Amino acid sequence: MSDPNENVFGKLSYLVVDDFENFRISMRHMLRSCGADNVELVAHAKPAIEYCTYNHVDVVLCDYNLGKGKNGQHILEELRHKKLLKRSSLFLMVTSESSREMVMGAREYQPDAYLTKPINHAMLEKRLSSLISQRNALLPINREIDRENYPEAISLCNAALSRLPRYKTWLMKTLGELYFLLGDLSYAIKVYDEVLSQRELSWARVGRNKVLLANHRYDEAVESLRKLIKSHPDYMEAYDLLAEGLERQNRSGQAQNVLELATTRSPNALLRQKHLAELAEANQDMETATEAWRQTVRLGAHSIHHSPDHHIALAHALCDLSDGDTDEGSQALAHEAISVLASMERQFSESKTLELHSLVIQCRIQAGRGEVEKANSMLESISERLSEIHPLELEMGLDYAKTLYRLDNVREAKTLLARLHESYGEDPEAARKIESLLDEPVSFRMKIKARGLNREGIAAFESGALKEAEETFSKALEIIPDHPALNLNLIQVLIKQHEDTGSIDKLTDRCQQHISRLDDLPEQHGQYRRYLALQRKLKALTL
Amino acid sequence: MKNRNIDFSMVLALAVHDMKNSLGMLLNSLDELRAENEAKLTESSKFNTLQYEAERIHNDLVQLLGIYRLGENNLSAHIEEHSVSEFLSEHLARHTPLLEGLGIECSIESDDINGFFDTDLLTGVLNNTINNAIRYTKSEIKLTAAEREGYLVIRVEDDGEGYPESMQHTGPLSFKSLDFNTGSTSLGLFFVSAVANLHSEGDRKGYIKLHNGGELGGGVFEIWLP
Repeated sequence: MSDPNENVFGKLSYLVVDDFENFRISMRHMLRSCGADNVELVAHAKPAIEYCTYNHVDVVLCDYNLGKGKNGQHILEELRHKKLLKRSSLFLMVTSESSREMVMGAREYQPDAYLTKPINHAMLEKRLSSLISQRNALLPINREIDRENYPEAISLCNAALSRLPRYKTWLMKTLGELYFLLGDLSYAIKVYDEVLSQRELSWARVGRNKVLLANHRYDEAVESLRKLIKSHPDYMEAYDLLAEGLERQNRSGQAQNVLELATTRSPNALLRQKHLAELAEANQDMETATEAWRQTVRLGAHSIHHSPDHHIALAHALCDLSDGDTDEGSQALAHEAISVLASMERQFSESKTLELHSLVIQCRIQAGRGEVEKANSMLESISERLSEIHPLELEMGLDYAKTLYRLDNVREAKTLLARLHESYGEDPEAARKIESLLDEPVSFRMKIKARGLNREGIAAFESGALKEAEETFSKALEIIPDHPALNLNLIQVLIKQHEDTGSIDKLTDRCQQHISRLDDLPEQHGQYRRYLALQRKLKALTL
Repeated sequence: MKNRNIDFSMVLALAVHDMKNSLGMLLNSLDELRAENEAKLTESSKFNTLQYEAERIHNDLVQLLGIYRLGENNLSAHIEEHSVSEFLSEHLARHTPLLEGLGIECSIESDDINGFFDTDLLTGVLNNTINNAIRYTKSEIKLTAAEREGYLVIRVEDDGEGYPESMQHTGPLSFKSLDFNTGSTSLGLFFVSAVANLHSEGDRKGYIKLHNGGELGGGVFEIWLP
């Protein structure tokens, strides 16, 4: 314990962030009467971040609500993310609201403590002095963490457990996190098990489940997280982890439901909204995806996670939703997409490729609205500018290919995708994207329709209704004529019909026609082996 | 309000939230006023009443929000381990200016133990009981904490007249037991009892006890946390 006469306040530097001058001054007054000497006052995020860039600060006292612009949470995120504020420094969030709603909002970076207004001198002195003694006691550990010397930090934590029983919770939490960071999962789980053997505590339960997920023990983690959410419906971190677990179990629909619930409870975490948007997109739920992208863009305005990719994704979703209809609703969506792109160009004006990327999407939006002439003239100037760029970025290239397809320039689109495959095909995720665009180069409504038909066709085939299967697959192929699986499905139906009836002449012609659509099917395509097998079978039949 | 789709409890909650924030600002200014005019205001009973009543409303609003979230099934205890004596002394510091102004003596007697509880929720509980004690005590309030039968027991004692017979009880309060006709609705007690109940460990749940006597001979509030 420190000498009570020693002035623990005087040795540290302070930064007070509050938009009310009265409050700043009264805070400085209170800090000074506690013995603090080095106190800086600022009103907003920008000067706060600037100050921390050039000065060492030990304690930040930051109001959550700073009027327009960035709030306290944004400042905390930026300071910690850019490592302008070390772990050994304290960040105190001053709030006039009850802290809980804000704790819920954040997905990462939590303050060291909350101070709830009204704050008086006695309260501030007590609270700060216990936080400062904690800081001083744990300083050697935090210093090692700041240096990323985790093994040393771990042995310091272990040594401190018996010496500083008062900070046991902090030490155990930190130990769990450090072992996890180092990838030592068996030790991490031991830490959480030890805590849980004494008492059921949510933080330890969450920590343990994080380890289970990393260990691929998805079923266990999912079950335990469901239970946790039931007893603690306001523990947001559990929802994020549960969604992750369900995704790993390939239950992306359920994962989406979990995140939807989480975002209604706590709508202000950007990364959670983004995760939801991506999931919904993968689930072909474009309405939900669009709304989640809207929120992601909205929350990005003041966040370190601000990125033009979110605008592009939102514009895509809107474009997809509006495509193929000219009613009022679709017009409004198309309009919104264009204004989202315009706002992106304003905010990221230094990027030339971004402007071009925006044009590529705008061109497709025009085509979707039926303004084909306008779209074609846009396409002409885009093609010219794009031909000068080598190599083309993947996302931009994919978008360009979509636009080409939309304007029926199928051959050009295919050439472009082949070129993209040459440059990026080694990355499996990129290859998958290119492939799925080749297979289904239409808007999501059409895609869903074709997929539905495909399912119906398979069901008909399995129940022996060959005629019906043939008709259904053909209908689907009218939407996406080059889809490998669909073409192969139809060929299989036709062969089966032939085997049943024995008639041959017309049949082989049609089969040939469909198999030749897959002439340039790349070897690594998921349907390639089936393609070869059916091709052989067909040859045997025609001989 | 027919055919208008208004979620009235939601509207109330938003309004309460707003009022609570305003009141927070007001309380802040009162604290500053007191600090700036110490000589004049320390003994002023009008100023003390002003601050006390503002604290009480603030406290009521915080409770209302808590009860709203309880009803929405969106309130749970985030239990962590804390030093009890540290928590109590930090908490008492909040009431210090008013207690000094009112000339009420306040002390803490706590064993050096750690306890498992949700600090936000327990802060609400203590605000409520301390405000209550301030209202009914003559000259002294005492906070004590100790471990008994495997529970953490925090007591707030005063030297006032004590609780009336009808209010003394042990265990959970149901929403139905609230009596809106007596003037004192015990809404605060309902909230406090609900918070105690949110603290659970295995099969054991927290609860409250109200009785009279204690070391100061007045009302004794106890919260038992597993």
